[in-house]
Amino acid sequence: MKQWLLLPLLSFLVSGCALNSIFINYPSQIAPVKAQLNTNTPIKGVLEVESNISGADGLLYAQEAGRVAQISGDFEASKEYYQQAVAGYLKFDDKATLSVSDMGATTSSLFINDNVIPYRGPGYERVMLHQYQALNYIFSGDQQGALVEVRRSNGLQSSEQARYQKSNESVQAMANGTIDAEVNKLGKAAGTVTSSFLNAYSYYTTGVLHEILGEPNDAFIDYRKAAQISPDNPYLQKDLVRLAKQLSMPQADEFERRWGKATRAKKEQGEVIFLIERGFVPEKQSLTVPFTIHGNWQTASLATYTSNSRPVSPGKIKGLGKSLTAAPIANLDALAITALKEELPAALIRQAARVYAKSEMARSVESNSKKRNNETDIGVIAMQIFNVITEQADRRSWLTLPKQAQIARTYLNSGSYSVQLDNGTPAQIEVKSGRTTLVWAVDTGNYTRFYSIII
Amino acid sequence: MKHFKLIFMLAVAIGLAGCQSKVEYGDATEVETVNENFGSSDLQAIAAKMVDSMLTFPPVMVLTANDRPIMFVDKIKNKTSEHIDTESVTDSISNKLLRSGKFRFIDMTKVDAVRKQLDYQNNAGMVDPSTAISFGRQIGAQYMLYGNLSSIVKQDGSTKDVYYKMTMRLMDLETGLIEWSDEKEIRKVKSKSFLGL
Repeated sequence: MKQWLLLPLLSFLVSGCALNSIFINYPSQIAPVKAQLNTNTPIKGVLEVESNISGADGLLYAQEAGRVAQISGDFEASKEYYQQAVAGYLKFDDKATLSVSDMGATTSSLFINDNVIPYRGPGYERVMLHQYQALNYIFSGDQQGALVEVRRSNGLQSSEQARYQKSNESVQAMANGTIDAEVNKLGKAAGTVTSSFLNAYSYYTTGVLHEILGEPNDAFIDYRKAAQISPDNPYLQKDLVRLAKQLSMPQADEFERRWGKATRAKKEQGEVIFLIERGFVPEKQSLTVPFTIHGNWQTASLATYTSNSRPVSPGKIKGLGKSLTAAPIANLDALAITALKEELPAALIRQAARVYAKSEMARSVESNSKKRNNETDIGVIAMQIFNVITEQADRRSWLTLPKQAQIARTYLNSGSYSVQLDNGTPAQIEVKSGRTTLVWAVDTGNYTRFYSIII
Repeated sequence: MKHFKLIFMLAVAIGLAGCQSKVEYGDATEVETVNENFGSSDLQAIAAKMVDSMLTFPPVMVLTANDRPIMFVDKIKNKTSEHIDTESVTDSISNKLLRSGKFRFIDMTKVDAVRKQLDYQNNAGMVDPSTAISFGRQIGAQYMLYGNLSSIVKQDGSTKDVYYKMTMRLMDLETGLIEWSDEKEIRKVKSKSFLGL
């Protein structure tokens, strides 16, 4: 009789959580949001995710909503959403070492799938969150607020750095403040490039904000770290030479020898800094393996990344009088892959435990029903269906992030320019002599949106 | 069995009532430790320390012995990693200084509003010119009060250490000399509980 009790319980469980990502995979939930970003009403995508912010994965949906609002140019709304995501992370930080709710989530993950565990983004997502929040503040004209967010992301960056420091030589070198191209070359061969677990784009963004808001010394530190991760970027090299000279740092001569002299703005010129984001970070795919245990069908599903993504081309910025080609500073897909790699051991342990738990569930139903010989084993069938249906890979990740970030920097005579990224829609930017124009361009495929502010 | 059911129902009712949220009035000067962020206790401690220090500093006592010097408060620069309303800190400090009766203040945040009002009085044609306050009669400040609020946050495992330092200075605008300076340090340590929700 036991199995008849189980059925309504199971159906209750299933219907109770059908609305979130436990059964509907996350990428397909976000697909319409991403599609909306490629129309002229991108903000509508927020409506798709807004109602989920109060749920268990609220942090993730708040990140997506914040990003959508930001790409649409609604910086105030984006700020609010990001604040909710930040609050979500802080709640995780405050959790007790042995938390009852965490244990509860892990236990239910043994019977359903990993999607029941509340989403907590990997380190790089959390750094990006504060970095984007800093951009929100600067584009809504609050410089002090922007610097607060910059300091927050600096704090998180250093804790990320500390996490890898023990295991990785090049990160150690970063702490010593050296830029060692050799270590990076070795790393590339070994498949442990620094850029696959530390984000040069966030270091560069915080560096830029430090610099344009009058803290060149802090900017130098951030640029130096960015250069350790992404040593081949010519704009970054020039920034380092220029700042080392300006601050009369001991490395000034060495940098100049390696990368050449840095140019300075002429009297009537202003500086233009481009931060360009292109494409979308790849989605996690699910790898499902069916098998039988004691004659009962079961599956194991794990999240993975398939490596068939097309490389992003460096953006050509037109309309400045001279052509300017942006240089890539960070590939976010590499960061995403590393984050998944790190999650994998724990996910595998949970997977093994789940396979065991589910096979025991199926067997317990089976042995009871066998007693009545001629009846159909509805309980067993239902249990097998339940086990297969509920076995879903955890495919959650912040999907509206860009695939690649590029930077460019130049001096221009003061005036108004109509800039264009590759063959996208042109946008107006202003340049004033002696001032800096920060231009943030987000290319979502069909649309490139430009936001600029003069500081 | 019936008794058991009744007791169970009662327990549930009591349990639910216990979960109800409630609102209470508290003491505004009570020590607040809801979390490790900058809070009202920190603000009060900073304001009290700064005002005490300034009013009891011998050279400042000489300055204020026969005169009520005029000063203005520049913004306190927020160099922490929190969004803090530093204007509220300066408000508390200027309030206390003003109440001591030793200083007079010029409010720089209201200059625009004052300009608008004077513009109205003088140029709108609505105000009797004999009662209109003319431009250029205000008194200039002699001293500037300014400061920095910085923080160092460290976290390792279950311990979080937050250190705040508020530095304030009083500058004589005529000579550029710093007449007074002091700092207030605050340290807060938060340790995560081992077992919890």
